[in-house]
Amino acid sequence: MNSFWNGKRRFVALLMFLAGVFVALEVPPVIPFIQLPGEKFPEGFDIPFTGIRWTNTMVGSVIVWVVLLLFVVYVSRRRPKDGNEAPPGGFYYLFEVLFEGLMGFVGGIAGGRHFRVIFNMFMTIFLVVLMANWMELVPGVDTIGFIHPHVKEKYDAEKDEYKLVTTDGYEIYQGFLGISYVNGQCNWISPADEAAADEAALASADAARLAAMDEQAVKAAYARYQAAHNGHGDEHAAETTAEADEASAAYDEVLAARVAEKQARADRGCHTGVATAPWQDGYEPYDKTKAKGISLHPDPSSEEAKLVPWVVLPFVRVPSTDLNMTLTIALISFVMIQYIGFKALGIGYLTKFFNFGTLFKSPLGGIDVAVGLLELIGDFAKILSFSFRLLGNIFAGSILLFVMSFLIPILPWPFFILEFFVGVIQALVFALLTAIFMNLATISHHHDDDHDHDEAH
Amino acid sequence: MDPQSTIILGKAIGAGLAMIGAAGGGIGIGLAVGGAVQAMGRNPDHTPTIQTNMILGVAFAEAVAIYALVVSLIILFVLS
Amino acid sequence: MDGVLDTLGINPGLMLIWLIAFIVLYTVLTRFIYDPLTNVLNERRNRIAKGLEDAAAAARARENAEAEAENILAQARGEAQKFIDEARGRGEDVAGTIESEARQEAARIQYDAQNEAVAIRNTELGNLRDQVLNISVAVASRILEENISKTKQKALVNSFITDLPDGAKGIGGSVEVVSAMPLTVAEQRKITSEVGADDAEFSVDPSILGGLIVRWAGGIVDGSVRAQLNELTRSLN
Repeated sequence: MNSFWNGKRRFVALLMFLAGVFVALEVPPVIPFIQLPGEKFPEGFDIPFTGIRWTNTMVGSVIVWVVLLLFVVYVSRRRPKDGNEAPPGGFYYLFEVLFEGLMGFVGGIAGGRHFRVIFNMFMTIFLVVLMANWMELVPGVDTIGFIHPHVKEKYDAEKDEYKLVTTDGYEIYQGFLGISYVNGQCNWISPADEAAADEAALASADAARLAAMDEQAVKAAYARYQAAHNGHGDEHAAETTAEADEASAAYDEVLAARVAEKQARADRGCHTGVATAPWQDGYEPYDKTKAKGISLHPDPSSEEAKLVPWVVLPFVRVPSTDLNMTLTIALISFVMIQYIGFKALGIGYLTKFFNFGTLFKSPLGGIDVAVGLLELIGDFAKILSFSFRLLGNIFAGSILLFVMSFLIPILPWPFFILEFFVGVIQALVFALLTAIFMNLATISHHHDDDHDHDEAH
Repeated sequence: MDPQSTIILGKAIGAGLAMIGAAGGGIGIGLAVGGAVQAMGRNPDHTPTIQTNMILGVAFAEAVAIYALVVSLIILFVLS
Repeated sequence: MDGVLDTLGINPGLMLIWLIAFIVLYTVLTRFIYDPLTNVLNERRNRIAKGLEDAAAAARARENAEAEAENILAQARGEAQKFIDEARGRGEDVAGTIESEARQEAARIQYDAQNEAVAIRNTELGNLRDQVLNISVAVASRILEENISKTKQKALVNSFITDLPDGAKGIGGSVEVVSAMPLTVAEQRKITSEVGADDAEFSVDPSILGGLIVRWAGGIVDGSVRAQLNELTRSLN
């Protein structure tokens, strides 16, 4: 197999590049609608036994777990059974090198009595977060999904009911291989807006006609005056005809701009003058049956397709862009830090936060109390800092990849390489900070407890 | 100007202002890495320790910039 | 608060699922990767350390062995030198003996070869003699146009070959007879009796062309054709 591919890989790369150019021309990229919470799947897609709707970040999470479990199976199959056996080559060897390197790394930071727990925690967080972060590099993630009507449920406090609100979105069109695509060229315009624009154009055309007629009326009056004095009765009729012509020309000119605008939209393949939506003015009482009536992969030529704005609802989204994952791991990290602190120092660990021991002994006792309370606040702040650091980096990375794929559809590779490293660094930082704080929690602040610390080393 | 445009204007300005906070993170990371590289140059034997502490410091400095980014993102995409 | 959680997409149910998943992953990874792999790596590290120690010990042992080998080699070299010296002395004696033996052998071989060469030459000349006889008979009968008998002619020629010079009769003692052609045993016997020699040694020298030369201790009688020709040449000049 290897000999077959020798020297041919470059052509495969070239072929993929050309395919990328073709796809980028055939299916122009669309900047997706960005929202922080994971997009909820439509009605009927519930996580089994929970009654919670699937979100696409949750699908991504499940993929991460499955990949990690498969990875466990792979490693435990390839792993040498004892120290006498030589490790097999290939991907396993890469993992072993990484594992041993990280073991030495963590050993240098927290190589004490609690090394095993700290290292296991470090490695698990590292692997989980790394897998999640790298998911944004997989093709199809964030781009393939349901074509979904972009309507929001909005709670109306006055009437105490949910309403559907149409928001921004695109029209859809039939493209390559008979698949429907969201058309980035055509922003969906609500029927009300369309009608309003038509009305405004008509109004301004009317105004222009009236203005032209006013001007002509003055000229006509002057002409009639002259005619009355000079007795050229025939000219009056001719002038009246010219008057009407000029007024209608002004009317047409103004309306032509609106017609040209509509034509330009039609030339791009967009709809004009859409049919009436089920919730014409944007506000309608919430009715599930109406929402259900809209299919997830609509036929672009159908009337239904013209009713609402459409967006892609990706099947899979990077789980690190969802607070559910980052906040959970941050909470686990926080709990483990406190747990290992109590395990190492017993109840004395609490004196780190509530340090009243020196309050009446030392002149700086009050400062010690304040520092302890600050540490308590700081520990809780870690939860926020951990979760938002990861979320912010990866979410911003995803948006960067969207925007770059939109701006330079053919060559966004450098940004993918950048995101590859950002994924590693963020996973490492998350795991490393957990390891460091766990190690710090096992070290006592007091001098009389120092022998404990020494034993650990 | 209609209310919708005003809201968008306010969001854009707010998000832009929030990102000024990222400058602090940038300065902090620059100082931390600069110091670490100098220390490594003078004392190459202690590179692993310095590197670990540098990554820690960079992570803390970056966190501030990330908070700014998150605020900006929330203004743009969460507020309605 | 509910609104904030909603806008940020935080769902306690999903977080609980993540928590359970993380705990499961932690357990599985620890049980099936971290613990066994750590043990394997530790074992391998110990084994490599032990291997290095063994190698160091082996290196020390080898150094010792090399020194010992050096000693043994030096001893062996001394003994070898002694053996060589002894052997050289003994060898020179042996060489002398062998050389003299070889000389004798060479001399014997030379002698044999000379005898053999003489015998071969005599045989060939004997053959030649028969041819000469036949040719001379043919030539003579052509010249004389006389049909003389073959036996007579042969006798004539034989007598030419074996004619004893005048002064060489009844000499006695040891005599050396030189003939141009080898002589038959009968001729030799006849000549011996005519000369009256006790002991005659016959040799062949074709350059005398014909006749006999008889040498003895007291003198020489040259009855060879060559001598007669020389004399004729001198007298003609």
